[in-house]
Amino acid sequence: MRQVVRYTAMLLRAYVRDRSAVFFSLLLPLMFMLIFGALNLGAFGHVTMGIVDEARNADSRRFVDQLAGIGELTVREGALDDEKARLSRSERDMVVAIPADFRLAPPQPGASVPTLLVYANDGRAQQVAVGRAILQQLIAETSFAVTRTSPVVQLTQEQVSAVRLRYVDFLVPGILGMNVMQLAIFSVAFALVADKQRGVLRRIMATPFRPIRFLTSQVLLRLVLSVIQILILLGVALLVFKVQVVGSVLDLLVLTTLGSIAFLTVGFTLAGWAETVNQVPPVANLITLPQFFLSGVFFPTDVVPPLLKPISEHAPLTYLNDAVREVSTQGATLWDVRGDVLGLAVWSIVGFLLAVRFFKFQTS
Amino acid sequence: MTTPIISVTDLRKRYGEIEAVRGISFTVAEGEVFGLLGPNGAGKTTTVEILEGLRNADSGTASVAGIDVARDPTGVKRRIGVQLQASAFPEHYTTKEVVELFGIFYDRTVDALALLRQVDLADRASQRQEKLSGGQRQRLSIAVALVNEPRVIFLDEPTTGLDPQARRNLWALVQSIRDRGITVLLTTHYLDEAEVLCDRVAIIDEGRIVALAPPRTLIADLLGRGFTKPVLQQQANLEDVFLDLTGHELRED
Repeated sequence: MRQVVRYTAMLLRAYVRDRSAVFFSLLLPLMFMLIFGALNLGAFGHVTMGIVDEARNADSRRFVDQLAGIGELTVREGALDDEKARLSRSERDMVVAIPADFRLAPPQPGASVPTLLVYANDGRAQQVAVGRAILQQLIAETSFAVTRTSPVVQLTQEQVSAVRLRYVDFLVPGILGMNVMQLAIFSVAFALVADKQRGVLRRIMATPFRPIRFLTSQVLLRLVLSVIQILILLGVALLVFKVQVVGSVLDLLVLTTLGSIAFLTVGFTLAGWAETVNQVPPVANLITLPQFFLSGVFFPTDVVPPLLKPISEHAPLTYLNDAVREVSTQGATLWDVRGDVLGLAVWSIVGFLLAVRFFKFQTS
Repeated sequence: MTTPIISVTDLRKRYGEIEAVRGISFTVAEGEVFGLLGPNGAGKTTTVEILEGLRNADSGTASVAGIDVARDPTGVKRRIGVQLQASAFPEHYTTKEVVELFGIFYDRTVDALALLRQVDLADRASQRQEKLSGGQRQRLSIAVALVNEPRVIFLDEPTTGLDPQARRNLWALVQSIRDRGITVLLTTHYLDEAEVLCDRVAIIDEGRIVALAPPRTLIADLLGRGFTKPVLQQQANLEDVFLDLTGHELRED
């Protein structure tokens, strides 16, 4: 045990001196989080609405102002042709044309009421639906106000969770999961294959140091690094994006450590199989890249096409991301996410067996 | 006669179609400098790696410091010091830290500076290991081989790739190790090196020992068989000229 601790401490010392390792394990993930966090990619429920106001009267102004005051909407005004062009470039989710005869007055019997014409962006069906609902709601409220009646049925909305999910709240757990995967797979595969190739591992195996202690130290180092990495990323997320972590940070660390173990087995398998460092990136990327997109890092897994759903649902990163996200955004406990924990455990066992089968200390 | 510190009997090792070692037997007495000579691919390194517990022999027995290598490779590793061919130290450590790191592998606390002093590297203690010259790196690997106060050290082609000054410096180091009573088994394909350093040499070719005796005996035998060099041996050679012109001082940047 003393030997393992001393060796792990030495490994950590070399690691912090290795600039490229520090860049890939800390600076790159931070950049990822800051860039995607700032991009506000996805922005679910947020609707960009173009308004073409052909009435230009006090009533139409009031209606547009009310729309502009709604948080989920970004309202832009312009001429019809211009707005339609923007719609086709996906700069608008929908365009609403307010007719020239627009006015807010009780309808006269027999006369028609003004009609709002909506142009929808087919590619953004979700946003269009949200925008339509907001319009319907505003029309209903306006109608009751103008006709001085009150609604016959009232709707109140119960807040489902204590916090409203912003994109960055969704993103940060995904970034955490992604980096657990990257650190575990790449740092093990690169470092160990390089050491194997240069004969470092052979030199160590010429001493009485037991292989199991060597491997334990290598694993311990990565688990320690992973905890440090998660705490730093989480700290920046809390400070810069004011991300709310509803669940327990300790539970998050337990989950990311479990995730690390699952992905470390992959890293060791890869390190065992590869004879040269050049063989590492293609295979490592083949394993990790699809999971970026199938495992809910940047956007939810709902958008994954049905054909890829089975892969998406059982990918190790999906289990990790789901669990971390449930704890972080919904305040779930480890027991609540036991399905994901089981998934990670199964992957760890499979990976461990593969690693035992493939890992070697010297090139043949 | 005292029991030999290294004893090898009918060792054989095959890699697929190639039979690298074909029945090698020899013994090394404690305190001896023993050389395994031979061209590249003769089976020197394979033999040494079997003795170091890094490879399994197909058949035959080998024991080092009284321990059967096949039965207890870890026990052998604990008692020997090694310098491997084509190996390297982990990166991002200073020279002193490399020695301490190997102290951890042998599970002992070491006086790294004292060891570096023995190989004349104390002034490089805080320099990164990657920045050492070839000769300095070989000296560091000897310091590391001494970490566990071994009874035997194995040096696999310790002077390959070194300039004449660094080679001579390393010879002096090997002699100082021998003077401390440590048995040295070294492989080389430089015959002058073997002649200077070794008490006895085994010449290996194609996996077999073709001669085993003190260097002078081998030379005397050859001359006794009526061998003469076609050209009269000069009293100096080009290496002597080179050293005369450039001095014995170590060149290290």
